[in-house]
Amino acid sequence: MNFDLTEEQQLLEDSVARFVADHYALDKRIKLANGKLGFSAEHWQTFAELGWLAVPFDEADGGIGGGPVETMVVMEQFGRGLILEPYLATVILGGGVLRRTLEGERRAELLGRLIEGKLQLAFAHSEEQARWDLEDVVSSARQDGDGWVLNGAKPVVYNGGNADLLIVSARSSGGQMDSDGISLFLVDPKASGVEIQAYPTVDGLRAAEIKMTDVKVDGDALLGAAGKAWPIIEAVADEAVLALCAEALGGLEVLYKDTVQYTQERQQFGHPMTDFQTVSHRLVEMFMEYEQCKSLLYRATMEYAQNGHEAARTLSACKHLIGTAGKFIGETAVQLHGGMGVTEELRLGHFFKRQLVIESQFGNADFHLEKFAA
Amino acid sequence: MDIELSADDLKFRDDVREFFKAHDYKPGQDYAQWRLDWFKAAREQGGWDVPKWPKEFGGPGWSPTQHYIWEQETARANLPWDMPFGVGMVAPIIMNYGNAEQQERFLPDIRARTVNWCQGYSEPGAGSDLASLKTKAELSADGKHYVVNGSKIWTTMAHIADWIFCLTRTDASGKKQEGITFLLFPMKQDGIEVKPIITLGGSHSVNTVHFTDVKVPVENRIGEEGKGWTYAKGLLAHERTGLAGVSRSLVALEKLKYQAGTVKRGNGSLLDDPSFRSKLAKLEVDLQALEFTELRSLARAASGQQPGPESSILKLKGTEIQQRIAHLTMEAAGPHMAPWGGIHVGPKFASGGTQSYLGSRAFTIYGGASEVQKDIIAKNVLGIRTQGGSN
Ligand SMILES: Cc1cc2nc3c(=O)[nH]c(=O)nc-3n(C[C@H](O)[C@H](O)[C@H](O)COP(=O)(O)OP(=O)(O)OC[C@H]3O[C@@H](n4cnc5c(N)ncnc54)[C@H](O)[C@@H]3O)c2cc1C
Repeated sequence: MNFDLTEEQQLLEDSVARFVADHYALDKRIKLANGKLGFSAEHWQTFAELGWLAVPFDEADGGIGGGPVETMVVMEQFGRGLILEPYLATVILGGGVLRRTLEGERRAELLGRLIEGKLQLAFAHSEEQARWDLEDVVSSARQDGDGWVLNGAKPVVYNGGNADLLIVSARSSGGQMDSDGISLFLVDPKASGVEIQAYPTVDGLRAAEIKMTDVKVDGDALLGAAGKAWPIIEAVADEAVLALCAEALGGLEVLYKDTVQYTQERQQFGHPMTDFQTVSHRLVEMFMEYEQCKSLLYRATMEYAQNGHEAARTLSACKHLIGTAGKFIGETAVQLHGGMGVTEELRLGHFFKRQLVIESQFGNADFHLEKFAA
Repeated sequence: MDIELSADDLKFRDDVREFFKAHDYKPGQDYAQWRLDWFKAAREQGGWDVPKWPKEFGGPGWSPTQHYIWEQETARANLPWDMPFGVGMVAPIIMNYGNAEQQERFLPDIRARTVNWCQGYSEPGAGSDLASLKTKAELSADGKHYVVNGSKIWTTMAHIADWIFCLTRTDASGKKQEGITFLLFPMKQDGIEVKPIITLGGSHSVNTVHFTDVKVPVENRIGEEGKGWTYAKGLLAHERTGLAGVSRSLVALEKLKYQAGTVKRGNGSLLDDPSFRSKLAKLEVDLQALEFTELRSLARAASGQQPGPESSILKLKGTEIQQRIAHLTMEAAGPHMAPWGGIHVGPKFASGGTQSYLGSRAFTIYGGASEVQKDIIAKNVLGIRTQGGSN
């Protein structure tokens, strides 16, 4: 039994933590979020140079062969910094699909560019009617000679406006809710018939609505076998859930610790707030929830590292707990900060909003509790 | 016990509905003009522009049941925007503690909604512990005016307000509740600086307000010097009961049900989702109870009794329910809660839901944070001694 990080993992954590401390003060984040790109291209290059973009890729692909624990380490620190760079979209989701599907020269080229920080991706999968049901796909892929014709809409695609390439799911056979019959395609966002409306999200990130009208792609745009994308989608969704949970955990730590500090410093009625037992007990509850989330994240991450998708039930447990704790810790942090809690002036409000969005990605607390119970 | 509305009450309800229909905003109308006309017409109905004002000041003198009907109907109708600060907050203070000259001077414009007010109570160092406020008002040597210096924070609508009602400190030597003086003065003058504070939804409604040597004539003082706390406290209690918003929540819940019904799930809608359904049902149960808590409180007032213990929970429960409705609305939007900045993707209500959820977090903070409310109930209703932490 050992919950310690290895030396390499510790070094990785330290380097991400140092970056966050140096570059992600609130004012800097706000400036980036409001800029044209919505994140820093320079930071992205730093991520490449420090090897963070290489984390989940095999050494044969130029990666560092990291597993779920390494990703967790990176994402947790990103969560503490409220990082804007599209790591989830490009490395975890996009990269996750490419490393499971590409072969030969194209694999070397695209993964190489990704790891060097020269390729941004977006995973255009979820559709409006699907909510969080991953198999619910109505966008269609029709075979047309050697190529395919794609139609459909993806309303919330993170990094969709900045991506160099889109990974789009569409149904090539089967009914709306069949896991079988879904295919994945690599689509040039500039291709004719692709309409992209980019927009900010409430947490300061960027997403886009992507509509496809008779988009023609070549045969080699198909990633993996036609109609057989389900296990790939399931795998990247598992990894996204873990990554998001790790990011959320980093944020929860900031939320509860900032509140502990603020309520000790803030005086009313001639006392620090923490003199009121209802306040100090609530701080203890936040802390307890945080520790429980951490335990379940470790459990889910380690089980996934060992058993892959067989750990799905624990992943759901983790996303559920993180979702409920995120609501409790976030709302309590805001409440105990009083008026300051509902402003954009303290970082806490921004961390709160990120928790809300994480809850909306890849299934909320209720959704995962149901999966867990099923 | 009897919950039937009388024939007179039913007639009143029809009259109210009729009035709302006859004076509804029509597309293309000049909104500002329509607003002023609406209040004028309501006034001609016999004080419907100021339902809570006493009869002697032009209010309608309604029974509690009529007030309840009015609340129900207004929750559904499209009323012109109105801020609570004038008609609802400063006016009762002017009526109760102001002199005849002040009543004549201020009440007509407040009533006509031609002058906007803001509430200058909270300060950076005085939030829940409001009585510790420090904004200083010094009487000039000739005794003709006060000179005000200091800072207020969270002042809603200070950036559009014409006047402020402000708690100031004229004496720091005694107990903190003593030596507070209630002043009224115009916002658009030298020495007043208003700076925006942006709240979570990205909007601007609250401000910081700095006073540098602002001269306020003594005629603008309400009541006696040093007695402002007593005046303000009466209003605070009033402000707190006004916040249950049961009728509004009932309408919001109906809307939420409708919206969730538009979110497709398999062959049905989100309303068929077991966990969503049970949250919705639980909300409805709590709201049914709160509706009757409010009615009990009203009935008691109707019979001329002091407010009972049940009135103390209205703000606490009411705001909690409002927050839960807002949260469930955001949840109903699923992944589409995130798009921001005037963009609409997914269900129509999605971005509005997130906006109102973020806004709703303040409901348990302003008008007395919930924790402080509970402290007050512990002391005043349950009669127990607490660690302190309320005024
Ligand atoms: C949107 C908004 C609009 C507002 N508009 C106005 C306005 O127009 N005019 C005006 O004067 N003010 C206004 N306020 C201010 C509001 O009344 C104060 O925010 C409120 O009184 C709380 O004060 P505070 O923010 O300083 O919080 P603090 O007093 O610092 O309290 C912070 C938190 O600590 C906890 N707490 C406080 N005291 C206790 C206790 N005794 N026991 C246990 N827990 C406690 C509560 O959770 C509280 O939320 C507004 C506030 C908001 C958020």
